[in-house]
Amino acid sequence: MIVAFNAELFIQLLVNGITLGSLYGLIALGYSMVYGILKLLNFAHGDVYMIGAFVGYGVLSLLGGPLSPNIALAPLIVLMFLAAMLVSGLLGVVIERFAYRPLRDAPRIAPLISALGVSFFLQNSALLVFGSQFRSYDSFVLGSKNPEFFEPGPLTDPVFVVNNVNVQLIQVIVLATTAGLMVALTLLVAKTHLGKAMRATSYDREAAAMMGIDTDRVIASTFFIGSLLAGAAGVMFGLLFSQVFHFMGFLAGLKGFTAAVVGGIGSIPGAMLGGLLVGLAESFAAGYLGGRWSDLTVFGILILVLLIRPSGLLGTRAIQKV
Amino acid sequence: MTQKPPLLELEQVTKSFGGLTVVQSLDLHVDEGEIVSLIGPNGAGKTTVFNLVTGLYRPDSGEIRFEGRDIVGLLPHRITQLGIARTFQTLRLFLNMTVKENVMAAAYGHTRSTVLEAILRLPRARREEREIAALAEEKLAFFGQRLAGYRHDQQAYNLSYANRRRLEIARAMATNPRLLLLDEPAAGMNPAETLELTELIGRLRSDGGYSVLVIEHDMHVVEGISDRVVALDHGVKIAEGSFEDVATDPRVIEAYLGLQGAA
Amino acid sequence: MQTGGDIPEVPGRPDERDRPRVGVDEWVASVEGRREDRVGFARLGRRIDALLPPWARLLIFGVFAATLPFWMDRGDLFAYGIFTLIYILLGLGLNVVVGYAGLLDLGYVALFGFGAYFYALLSSEQYGIHWPSAVSIPVVVVSTALLGLVLGIPSRRLLGDYLAIVTLFFGQAFVVFVNAANPTVRGKGLTGGPNGIADIDPNDLLGYELTTRRQQYWFILGIVLLVLIGLHFLSESRTGRAWRALREDPLAAEAMSMPVNRLKLKAFAFGAGIAGLAGCIFAAVLTAVTSGNFALPILITIYAVVILGGIGSLTGVVIGAIVINVSFQFLAPENPQDNARILFYAVVVLLLVLAVRPWWMLGVVLGGVVVFGFAAHAIAEAIDPSWTAGAVVEGGRLAGVISDWVIIPAGNDRFANVAYITLVVAVLALTRIRGWWRTILLVPTLYLTAIVWETSFVEQPAVARWILFGALLVTLMTVRPQGLLGTPRVEIV
Repeated sequence: MIVAFNAELFIQLLVNGITLGSLYGLIALGYSMVYGILKLLNFAHGDVYMIGAFVGYGVLSLLGGPLSPNIALAPLIVLMFLAAMLVSGLLGVVIERFAYRPLRDAPRIAPLISALGVSFFLQNSALLVFGSQFRSYDSFVLGSKNPEFFEPGPLTDPVFVVNNVNVQLIQVIVLATTAGLMVALTLLVAKTHLGKAMRATSYDREAAAMMGIDTDRVIASTFFIGSLLAGAAGVMFGLLFSQVFHFMGFLAGLKGFTAAVVGGIGSIPGAMLGGLLVGLAESFAAGYLGGRWSDLTVFGILILVLLIRPSGLLGTRAIQKV
Repeated sequence: MTQKPPLLELEQVTKSFGGLTVVQSLDLHVDEGEIVSLIGPNGAGKTTVFNLVTGLYRPDSGEIRFEGRDIVGLLPHRITQLGIARTFQTLRLFLNMTVKENVMAAAYGHTRSTVLEAILRLPRARREEREIAALAEEKLAFFGQRLAGYRHDQQAYNLSYANRRRLEIARAMATNPRLLLLDEPAAGMNPAETLELTELIGRLRSDGGYSVLVIEHDMHVVEGISDRVVALDHGVKIAEGSFEDVATDPRVIEAYLGLQGAA
Repeated sequence: MQTGGDIPEVPGRPDERDRPRVGVDEWVASVEGRREDRVGFARLGRRIDALLPPWARLLIFGVFAATLPFWMDRGDLFAYGIFTLIYILLGLGLNVVVGYAGLLDLGYVALFGFGAYFYALLSSEQYGIHWPSAVSIPVVVVSTALLGLVLGIPSRRLLGDYLAIVTLFFGQAFVVFVNAANPTVRGKGLTGGPNGIADIDPNDLLGYELTTRRQQYWFILGIVLLVLIGLHFLSESRTGRAWRALREDPLAAEAMSMPVNRLKLKAFAFGAGIAGLAGCIFAAVLTAVTSGNFALPILITIYAVVILGGIGSLTGVVIGAIVINVSFQFLAPENPQDNARILFYAVVVLLLVLAVRPWWMLGVVLGGVVVFGFAAHAIAEAIDPSWTAGAVVEGGRLAGVISDWVIIPAGNDRFANVAYITLVVAVLALTRIRGWWRTILLVPTLYLTAIVWETSFVEQPAVARWILFGALLVTLMTVRPQGLLGTPRVEIV
C-alpha cells in the first residue's frame, strides 16, 4: 500500500517515541547497572516499576484522588515521584537482600529462577491487593478546574507546537525529569565515592572487597538507585497513559531490558540510547504497521542486535579468560 | 624419523590481544614420542600457546600443524578428535558428575551411537557403553590406588586438589589422544605427590604411548621428565635445548630473576 | 535418577566411614555432604536412590498410577490424574534443556503451545482436517523439535542470561502472534485469535478414538512411562553425559571432544519434541486451545515442577509434578474451598514440624498460636464487634472454630491488604532474626498467616497459588537450590 508521507503523523510518532523511549531508558538503566555489577538479569525490575506506578496512584488517591486533589498540582506530582522513587528503591534493596544476596555464589541458574519467582510474586501480590481492574491516574483532567465535565487539565496543555503537533506539558515534564535523573546519575557514578566504589565492584567484586570496599553495601546502593529510577518511570507511565495495572511491568521490563542490551549492557549512555531506539521503534511500528506489530518489532530488534553485535551498540566486547 | 613430519609443529605463530602481543613469531615442535617442557615466568604466554593449539584462540598469523595437517580454524572438539587433548591449569572438571562419568564423557569424540540408538538401547549403543566403561576404568587404573574402585562413583568435587589434577589427566587420556598437553600438572601438589607425578608423566609415554607437551614451574619435574625444554618470555622463545642448556642460559636466568646481565 | 553422590563404601572395612579421618582432604571436602546426609530430605533422597533402583521406582510409580482410575471419579481423574501426567511430560522435556544441558530456556511454554495449536490445526473442524493421531502426533513432534532447533540457534553465541531473555521474547512473541496477529489463512484466522481453536479431535489409538477419561488417562500414562524409560537410557548414554558435561563447563566439554554447539541444539530440539508431544495430548484432552494456556504462569509452573524435586533428576520431575499439580488443583477456583483450607493449614503445620526443633518447641509454638488467636479475637471483639463480624468463607467443618479464632472484620478489603503486606514483612523479618526472638515472632506471624488466608487467599485462590509459587521458587533457590530430594551442586565461581 502506498501512503503519502504525512509529516504530522511522523512528528507525532517521533514525539511519542522519544517520550516512551526516555521511560524505557530509565528502566534500562536499572537493568544495566545491576547487570554491570552482579552479572545478574533482574527479572523483577519490571515489577518494581509497576509497584512504583501503583505507589504514585496511592499518593494520588490519598491526597483526594485525581478529580479533587487537596493540594496544588506541582507539589502533588513532586510528591508522587518522591514517594514512588523511595518505595521502589527500598523494594529493590529488599529484593536484593532476600532473593539475590543468599545466591551470590550459587550456580548461575539459581538467581535467574529466583528473580523469576520474585517477579511472579510481585505481580500477583499487586493483583491480590489492587485487583485486576485498571487504575487510572486520570492525568487528562488532573488539575483541571472542572474535572467532572472532562475539562482538560494543565498537563495536556501544549508547551510548544511543531508542524501542527502539540508537545504537551506532561511530555516535557517526562523528558526534563529523565534528563535530570540521567545527569544526576552520570555525576554520581563519575564523581562520588560511591560511584567509584560501584565501578570498582563491577570491574572485579572480589578485588574490590579486598581493597576495603563494602561490596554488599555498594550492591544494595546500586539496587536502590536502579529501582528508584524504575519507580520514577512507573509514575511517568501513569501520567502519560493514565492507566496502571498489575501486569504492566512484564512487557515494560522486557522492553527496558531490550533497551539495555541494544545500547550495550553496563553503559549508562548506552541504556539511554537503547531506550530511545526501542521507544522510537515501537512508536513507528505502531503508527505505520499497526499496534499489534509493535511488540514483535521490538523483539525482532533485540534478536537482531544480539545476533549481530551481542555487546550492544556502545558496549565493549569482553575477552574470555581460559 | 627425519623424513616424518613432527607430531605437532607451530610455525611463526603470533597472537595479540588489543595492543598486547602475547605470543610472537613462535616456532615450536613436538616429535612423536617426545616429552617437551614449556617454561617461562608468569605471563610469558605458555597457556596461550595451549589455547592456540587446542583451537580456543585463533592465531593472528602463522601455522599450526598436527601430523602434517593444518589445524588452524578448526573447532576445539575437532582438534581433540584429531588427537590433541589437554588439561587445564585452573582445573575445569565436571564437578557434579562422578569421577567415572568425567572420564566416560570424554569418550564422546570417538563413539558414534545416536540419540535414537541410546533411547532404544540398540546393540551398538550397548556395546559402546560397555567399551566406554572399560576404557574409563582402564584410564583411572593408570593412577593406581589414587583413583581406585570406590572413588569411581564419587562426585568429582569430593576429590582433593591433587586427585583433581590426576582426574584431569585421566579425562584427557580418554579422548584417545596422541599428544597430551598438560598445564602445570604439579601445581598445588606436595613434594611426595610431585615425585609421583614425575614418574607418572614418564609412564604416560612408556606405557600409554603418548607424546607430551607440558607447562611446568617446578624445575625438579622439568628436569626429571624433559627430552627438550623450551623457554618463553613475553611471548618470545628465548632458549631451547636440553634441561642443562636451558637452565644455564643467561637469558632464561634473567627472565626468571630479572638480573641485569650482559645487556 | 542420578542424584547419587553416596558416601563411599570401602570394601571389606565397613567401619571405615565412621572413623574420623583427620587430615585426609576429601574428608574435609565432603563435610557439606555429610552434614546434608544427616538430616531431612536429602537423606530421604539418597535412601530412595540407594534402596530402589530406577526400574523399581518406575514399577512403583507405574503400578500406582495405573490403578488410579479404579478409585478416582472422572472429574478427579481429569484434574489430578491427566493433568499430573501432562505436567510430568512437560517437566521431563524442560529437564532435558535446563536440567541436563543447563540452558535456561524461557520460551519452552511456547513450544508446548506450538505443539497444541499445530495438533489442533491437523485434527479439528478449523480447516476440516482430521488426521489420525498415528500421523499427526509424529508430524507435530518433529515440527516442534525443528522449531526448538531454530529457537536454540541463538544459544550458539549467547551465554546464560541473554539466552534466557531471547527465549522469553520468543515465548511472548508466540502469545502475541497467536492472540493478536492471527493471520488470515484460507479465509479464516489461522489461530482463532482470543477465541482459540475449539472442537479438537481426541487422540486415537490406531483408529480407535479415546473418548472416555479413563482411556485417555491410560493412553497418556503409557506415553509418560515410555518417555521416562527412554530418557533414563538417554541420560546414561554418551549424549546424556555430554549434556551434563556441557552444563558443568562448556569450555572443558568442547576441549574434551564434545561438539558443544551441536549438543545444545540437540537438547533444545529434544526438549521441544517432548513439549510438542505434551501439546498434542493437552489439546486433545481439553478439546480446545487458547493463548492463555501457554502464557507466563504455565511456564513458571513447569519450572516449579522441575526445580522442586531436584533439577536434572527424573524421579524429581515425577515427584515435583505430583506435588505441584495436586496442590495446584486444591487451590483451583472450582474446587470446594474447604479442601484448599485443610491443605493450607496442613502444609503450614508440616513446614513447622520440619523447621522447628526441638519437638517441645513445636508444641510451645502451636499452643502459643492457638492461645494468641483466641486472645486477639476476644480483644478485637471487645473493642469493636464489627472487627470480628466478617463471615468465614465456606468454612466446612472448620468454620465454627475459625470464626471464633481469626479476626475477620466486616467489609475487610483494606484490612486484608494491610494484613497481607504485614505478613510479607513479618516473614522476611523472620528469616533475619535468630534464637528466642524468632520463636516469639513466629507466633503472631503464624496467626497473621491464618488471617491472610481467611481474608484474602480464600477468596482468590487462583491468585494465591501464583503468589505461593513465586514465593516457593525464591525460597527453594535461596534455601535448597538443588530441590527437595537433590544433592547440593558445587560450582567454582
